[in-house]
Amino acid sequence: MAEGKEEIDGVVTELLPNSIYRVKLESGQSVLAHLASGTRMQLVRVLPGDQVTLELSPYDPGRGRIVRRGGERPGR
Amino acid sequence: MINLKSEREIGIIREAGEILHGVLKLVEDACKEKVRTRDLDAMAEQFIVSRGAAPAFKGYKGFPASLCISINEEVVHGIPGPRRIKSGDIVSVDCGVRYKGYIADSALTIPVGDISAAVQKLLKVTEEALYLGIDKARPGNFVRDISQAVQSHVEKHGFSVVRELVGHGVGREMHEEPQVPNYVTDSRGARLEPGMVIAIEPMVNLGVYHVTMLSDKWTIVTLDRQPSAHFEHTIAITENGPQILTNGQ
Repeated sequence: MAEGKEEIDGVVTELLPNSIYRVKLESGQSVLAHLASGTRMQLVRVLPGDQVTLELSPYDPGRGRIVRRGGERPGR
Repeated sequence: MINLKSEREIGIIREAGEILHGVLKLVEDACKEKVRTRDLDAMAEQFIVSRGAAPAFKGYKGFPASLCISINEEVVHGIPGPRRIKSGDIVSVDCGVRYKGYIADSALTIPVGDISAAVQKLLKVTEEALYLGIDKARPGNFVRDISQAVQSHVEKHGFSVVRELVGHGVGREMHEEPQVPNYVTDSRGARLEPGMVIAIEPMVNLGVYHVTMLSDKWTIVTLDRQPSAHFEHTIAITENGPQILTNGQ
C-alpha cells in the first residue's frame, strides 16, 4: 500500500493575516499554510500566484507549511 | 528514524513475503473476465488466514479489505466490491501480509484479455522500472538513486510517475521511514544501509502524472482518467546488494 508523500505542490491563491496563505494544491483542494521556519529565516517573499511546495499536517489535512517557493522541482 | 532489521527479522519478513507471493499468484490465476473484485479479496483473505498470517491492509486506517484492487485509471487503494472485471482491463492488486508481527507488501498489475499495445508497454515499462530501482538499493547509495532509476526509465518511454504517493520503509509497521519517491526531489534522502527493508513501488501513468482521490476517500485515480500501472516488492538491503523478499525465492 503506497504512502502519501509528505510534500505536495500548489499555488498560492490568497494572502491572509498573520502570514497565513491559502494554497490551491494540484489536486484542486485548498489548504491553509504558514511558512516553515526555514523559508521565514531566508526572508522568502511568497505572493499569490507563486508555486510552492508544502508539507501537509498529519493531524489536519487542511493545514500545511510552505517549505519551498519556486516552480518545478528539479528533475521533473 | 529508520528501523534497521536484524537477519532474524528479515527472515520473518521473507516468510511473510512467501505467503504474500502465494496470495498474488492465486489472485493472478483467478483474475479473469466476469470475476468480481470482492471475490478475489475473499480468496486472498482466506489464503492468508489459512497460513497463520493476517491481512495487513484490513483495518489499516479503516481500509475495509485485504487487497487494494485498482482497475485501469485507478492508480492505487481501490476497494474491492461488486465490480466485475472486463476484457481489456488492467487490474492492479496490492496486498500486505502480517506474519509473526512483521509486514511484507507487494503489488502487481494483471492484464485481462486483449489490451492495447500502449497499455502493454505501460505494464512492461513499470515492471522494468521497479527492477531498475531495486538494483540501486545498495549500501552507500541514497534513496534518490532509486528514485532516479525509476523516473528516468519511465520518462524515457513517455510515461509519467505519480508524485503524491511513494514507497516506504516496512517491517514492524506498514509505513516506516524512509519515504521512497519514484521521482527525483531536491533531497537525496537517506543513505542506504544493510538492514533497511523498503517497499519500492513505481506507480506509472500513461498520461499526466497528476492524480486525485475519489469520494470513497481511498481510491486514487489519474486526473486525466488514463490508465495507470503499479508494481511493488519489499526488499532488504544487504552487504551484497538488494534481496527481494516477496518473489517467493
